[in-house]
Amino acid sequence: MSTESSNNLAWRHKKATAFRFFCVGVTGFAVAILAVLIFQVTSLGLPWLDMQFLDSFPSRFPEKAGIKSALAGTLWLISLTAMISIPVGVLAAVYLEEYAPPNRVTEFINVNIANLAGVPSIVYGILGLAIFVRFFALERSVISGALTMSLLILPVIIISSKEAIKAVPSSLRQAAYAVGATRWQVVRSHVLPAALPGVLTGVILAASRAIGETAPLIMIGALTFVAFTPEGPMDEFTALPIQIFNWTSRPQEEFHELASAGIIVLLAVLLMMNAIAVLIRHRGSKKG
Amino acid sequence: MSDTDNVILDIDDVCISYGDELAVRNVTLPIYEKKITAIIGPSGCGKSTLLRSLNRMNDFIHACTQDGHIAFHESDLYASSTDPVEVRRRIGMVFQRPNPFPKSIYRNIAWGPTINGFSGNMDERVELALKQAALWDEVKDRLQDSALNLSGGQQQRLCIARALALEPEIILMDEPCSALDPVSTARIEDLLFELKESYTIVIVTHNMQQASRVSDFTAFLENGVLVEYGETEDVFTRPENERTEEYVTGRFG
Repeated sequence: MSTESSNNLAWRHKKATAFRFFCVGVTGFAVAILAVLIFQVTSLGLPWLDMQFLDSFPSRFPEKAGIKSALAGTLWLISLTAMISIPVGVLAAVYLEEYAPPNRVTEFINVNIANLAGVPSIVYGILGLAIFVRFFALERSVISGALTMSLLILPVIIISSKEAIKAVPSSLRQAAYAVGATRWQVVRSHVLPAALPGVLTGVILAASRAIGETAPLIMIGALTFVAFTPEGPMDEFTALPIQIFNWTSRPQEEFHELASAGIIVLLAVLLMMNAIAVLIRHRGSKKG
Repeated sequence: MSDTDNVILDIDDVCISYGDELAVRNVTLPIYEKKITAIIGPSGCGKSTLLRSLNRMNDFIHACTQDGHIAFHESDLYASSTDPVEVRRRIGMVFQRPNPFPKSIYRNIAWGPTINGFSGNMDERVELALKQAALWDEVKDRLQDSALNLSGGQQQRLCIARALALEPEIILMDEPCSALDPVSTARIEDLLFELKESYTIVIVTHNMQQASRVSDFTAFLENGVLVEYGETEDVFTRPENERTEEYVTGRFG
């Protein structure tokens, strides 16, 4: 009896070990691919990455070409998108979680927000073209791009913010209500601060998606060869992924290396945004 | 039962249901001013539901409906002209598990008065509330520390202080000691005697000894029905109802 069960135990340990190796293998595979990608990009692009590259406009000559207009365009685009989509998305999530009665209409809205998160970005591009560029006559401006991007990432922000708000323990809400707080006071002083880390994670995920999107921007007519930086939200613009795409589609090898340098810049912007989020989150948790 | 006592909360023929499920059935019960009323009964008998109806905390539970009448100082607690936010300021609540805000000890006390427009000396108010809750000596040197660093018993006294800081007329306590060790429980019971001087207390408890020790009146609920209500001594020593006797002597529940 006892040998039988110990044999069984040995077999179970073997299975556990096998599964662990499988997981390590899969993770290692993903990391390896990422490492190869980053190695290739940096080895190609790093020699081109200097102040001249950051501070020059696109050019027909690779050695004179730079990423200034695309970088400026991306920073404009992402700032405006954040300003539009974060308040709208977070407030929509607050409404759906804290205020909306649990009825069929709310359920319908929730289901459809989840559906919208799965709509291909090119569809948002077409929508942006029809509504913002044509109907509101905003032309091919940064604001058109930002509004379109906001539509694209709103579902992601709303869903992740909703999850973060839902995770706030109800005992905390009850404690606040029990001292005579109004709903708004409960949300503002307790629910939102407690949900902030989760909300920020969602916002960063969404912003990362926006920063890498190309299709909707091409759809609404962002330019590919821009020799100026936007001065205001109504100016025309280009963005990093468009510039990178443009360079990779050229025949000359040097432009491909420029594209790699562009990718490094794009990754750097992304990492910076992540760092800011971590910083805010850290400050938020310390204040508590 | 003395007739000279003032009824501060008059629960009259109250039924509360969750959807189709009736949790409290036709309960009629007076709550006397500056007395401790204990509500006892087996799990799921509707004690907490009844308690939560007294400061309209059931408003947040969808599908929770209520019939009957609850008068607070003779005004209808559930009238459309009654503001539930004002009700909760005047009728405070302490919950089963300590639920301090994840903020400093000071902010835990001060938040309630602040949002309710208190304009006096906040430091004094915080100190008074903590003293009333017998917590001041333990925390006076670390008011800015997070309340989450306190022990469970201290957290529960902080929650009591938080309720007291609003100078409520009634404090509802939903099994306030069920998550605490015996020493912390004893401290809170001592506290209840002191608070009785100035506040009306309604306490839901699972603990028979606690009910008999601290309360002036006891209500015994079973399956949502008020089986017996009277002065605590009578309920525990010469209950009128057989079920009450079985319950208070520990034969079931």
